[in-house]
Amino acid sequence: MLYAPIALIFIPVFSALVIYLVKARFIHYLALIAQAAMTVLAILYYQTYTGNFADTFFVIGGWDARIGISLINDPLSLSFVFLSLFTWWMVLIYTFNTKQDNRTFLFFLMFLQGVFLGLLQTNDLFNMFVFLELTTIIVTILIAFKKAGDSFRAGIYYLLLNTSGVLMFLIGIILLYFTFGTINVNTIQEAMQAGVLVTGEEYAVRFAYVLLMAGISVKAALFPVFTWLPKAHGVAMSAISGLLSGLVVKGGLYLFIRMNEMFAGAQIDYTLFFYVVGALTAVIGVMFALTQKDMKQVLAYHTISQVGIVMMGLAHYDEQTAFGGLLHIFNHALFKTLLFLGAGIIIKAYNNKKIKEIRGVMRTMPVVSIFMIVGMLSITGAPFFNGFISKSIIKYGIQASGIKYWILFIVNIGTATSFIKMSQVFFGPKVMTLRIKEMGQRIALMTLAFSCVILGNLYIPISEGFFGIDVSHVSAVKWEAFFDYAVALILGFCFYKLVIEKDPRAVRKIREFNVSFETANYLFMLYVAVMVVYFVLL
Amino acid sequence: MIKQFVLIGLLAILFAVFFVSMQDIQELYNTFGKDYIAASGFADTGSRNLVTAILLDYRLFDSLFEAGILLIAVSGVIWISKHEIEEKNAQFMLDKFNTPDLFVTFSRLVYPLMLAFGFYVIINGHVSPGGGFQGGAIVATAILILYYIDADKETNIGLIVTIEKILYIAILLVASLSIVTRGEFFTNFFALDASADTKAIYLVLLNVMIGMKVALGLWTIFTAFLKEGR
Amino acid sequence: MNPLLTFVVILIGFYGLSTSTNIIKSVFCVTIIESGVILLFLNLGNLDGGVIPVIGDTLPVGGIADPLPQALMITTIVIGSTVTALALMLCIKVFHHYGTVEWAEILSRESGK
Repeated sequence: MLYAPIALIFIPVFSALVIYLVKARFIHYLALIAQAAMTVLAILYYQTYTGNFADTFFVIGGWDARIGISLINDPLSLSFVFLSLFTWWMVLIYTFNTKQDNRTFLFFLMFLQGVFLGLLQTNDLFNMFVFLELTTIIVTILIAFKKAGDSFRAGIYYLLLNTSGVLMFLIGIILLYFTFGTINVNTIQEAMQAGVLVTGEEYAVRFAYVLLMAGISVKAALFPVFTWLPKAHGVAMSAISGLLSGLVVKGGLYLFIRMNEMFAGAQIDYTLFFYVVGALTAVIGVMFALTQKDMKQVLAYHTISQVGIVMMGLAHYDEQTAFGGLLHIFNHALFKTLLFLGAGIIIKAYNNKKIKEIRGVMRTMPVVSIFMIVGMLSITGAPFFNGFISKSIIKYGIQASGIKYWILFIVNIGTATSFIKMSQVFFGPKVMTLRIKEMGQRIALMTLAFSCVILGNLYIPISEGFFGIDVSHVSAVKWEAFFDYAVALILGFCFYKLVIEKDPRAVRKIREFNVSFETANYLFMLYVAVMVVYFVLL
Repeated sequence: MIKQFVLIGLLAILFAVFFVSMQDIQELYNTFGKDYIAASGFADTGSRNLVTAILLDYRLFDSLFEAGILLIAVSGVIWISKHEIEEKNAQFMLDKFNTPDLFVTFSRLVYPLMLAFGFYVIINGHVSPGGGFQGGAIVATAILILYYIDADKETNIGLIVTIEKILYIAILLVASLSIVTRGEFFTNFFALDASADTKAIYLVLLNVMIGMKVALGLWTIFTAFLKEGR
Repeated sequence: MNPLLTFVVILIGFYGLSTSTNIIKSVFCVTIIESGVILLFLNLGNLDGGVIPVIGDTLPVGGIADPLPQALMITTIVIGSTVTALALMLCIKVFHHYGTVEWAEILSRESGK
């Protein structure tokens, strides 16, 4: 069982290669078999090591831990592993067909899974860099997979911006290597905690922190460097958008948690800075989302705002609030994948992306609409759905500070407004559309919708059992919960009727506001310089 | 204009911080990794070239994904460059008649030498500077010169890609053989106390496979670009 | 070569990335940053001086250069070359679709459609 992480990384890689090579009729099913094997293995692995996660540490090749590459798992990484397996199941089922062209798609998809699982489990900084860059490259190919003009453009934008971010990450690794003599995460963490040779006050260590965070911020789409996300997620295939928004963006947030654990001994106070960045990300994401007309663009901008909310939770030392952010990562993965996949079905049936031109989904596709409504209720934070839980935990954590609370409230209103706008597609008479009856798509949507509801109601045992954190103070059976939600909905409705529907000039200006590539890099430089001033010089 | 001055200012901040952190690094400079590998690298791995020792033994896991990145890029470039309609008479960008005769003649002369040098670098990767990745790049360059000698050369990309994928699977298998013989993943499959000559078998085997894989991969990428430049 | 000088190379790359309006130039700038990173890593690995890390039966006098950065940089070079290849291929495709490789013009043509 010790070597299960290696198997988790290489089963998908191997099956990807076989799928690419063998031209047999039923080779596509190998992906499902591999996925099932990995799921079983991950569950067995989790059962073996529950309670003593320190034992999961091992060095590949049996070398000294400071020289070789080591892998380690903890509840955090394993929960991400389960989330990835689940999301890949959904995407596989959703996109499953036995066309020959689909083999190439499956090849990239399965390879990406192996790489992503590697990124989650590795304990070596340079290995992390390799996996990050490999993820970037495969995601670029998947974005450009449709081979349309805008997907090529989005692909190259994504590739270059993320590569420059990941190279920043690499410079940080260089500084750490020459300071600590190793690039093993655990060793560096212990050395920093011991504080014998390096106290964490050095410019080199702090500069390395800034550079690592700069790279991670690009991957996680934080405030000034999120511009790649709407372009990329708006044009990719719906299933890929769901995967990217739901999971791959979270890779950056996962690294944020891991790297801050590593720098715990260096006494860097990151809470205020990243709270502000998270709040800006949330507000600006919502602001852009409100003005968009394209269904997938709206969802993509909401990914940004939700990442901001996660960041608002994660940027706290308080265990409860940080857990709220972590839980929101999982919840967002579920409902955003659900929304993207559902939007994909609707867009395909209507052959149209504009919210204003799609009408009557409720009568035309009742099943899909119900699942979509579940997703919308989750993202707006309705009681008894999963978005409510994590948002409430974050809300309780920041209630003491007035301004933090109001920012979250404003973001909630914005989210409500934008999904009230989107819910218009449900109304209207029945429309004749292409009838596409695909069982796999229905199953994927149903599973995602049910897991949203399940996590929204059984959150206490789940978080207790997995992370050992008690969240029983959050309850949906309180009148305040309904009151807050109702207020957000009513305000959102008023805002929509009074401002957004009239499409004033300001809204149009924001919609047409476009960050070009050089400006995105300029903002990136600005962001890094501000971080340097805040973390190193002050 | 003011935008650029601000940008230079921002970069100057980064440079200043880098400058002071260099002072720190000069003080802290930690040579643990270097000393460790210098002391036990040859005994552990049997490779006199310590870079190869790291690439093929200490950090073989990285190298596997390094080869994997090339594999992904090859498949990606092929997929992106594939046209909907199969153009049969795709003309190569390199026109034979426009290439100077001197260049063609010298290419003929240099081609076997380059090929031999590439293989030399691959095979001696464990005792002299070089290795699979470097030698593979040289071999790929040599193969590319063939396009200058014979501009009408037809390349079956599908076959090359298939061979490349199979080679990658073979590399994975050879790398993980050590789980059977030694109970450890991704290291030399000979015992730790085997003689350096025995260990060299593994190093040469892996170097040759990686070299071939890299050469084929780069060849494919180049061919895809040539077809694109009609 | 001084590590500071290599950092200047990196900064030049970032300067170019934030000012150039052409896709090809952006690709070049990423390559420049990458070269800068590689040079920086190799430079720092050889701060005390030393010969190439290929050893005989005894260690060479004066020590060797740190082999780990060199091994890591081979990986970085391969990654860099693949990124460049992919970016250039995408660039060709963008040119086929839009007839230009200027970021701003691509945007204007897209919104014009």
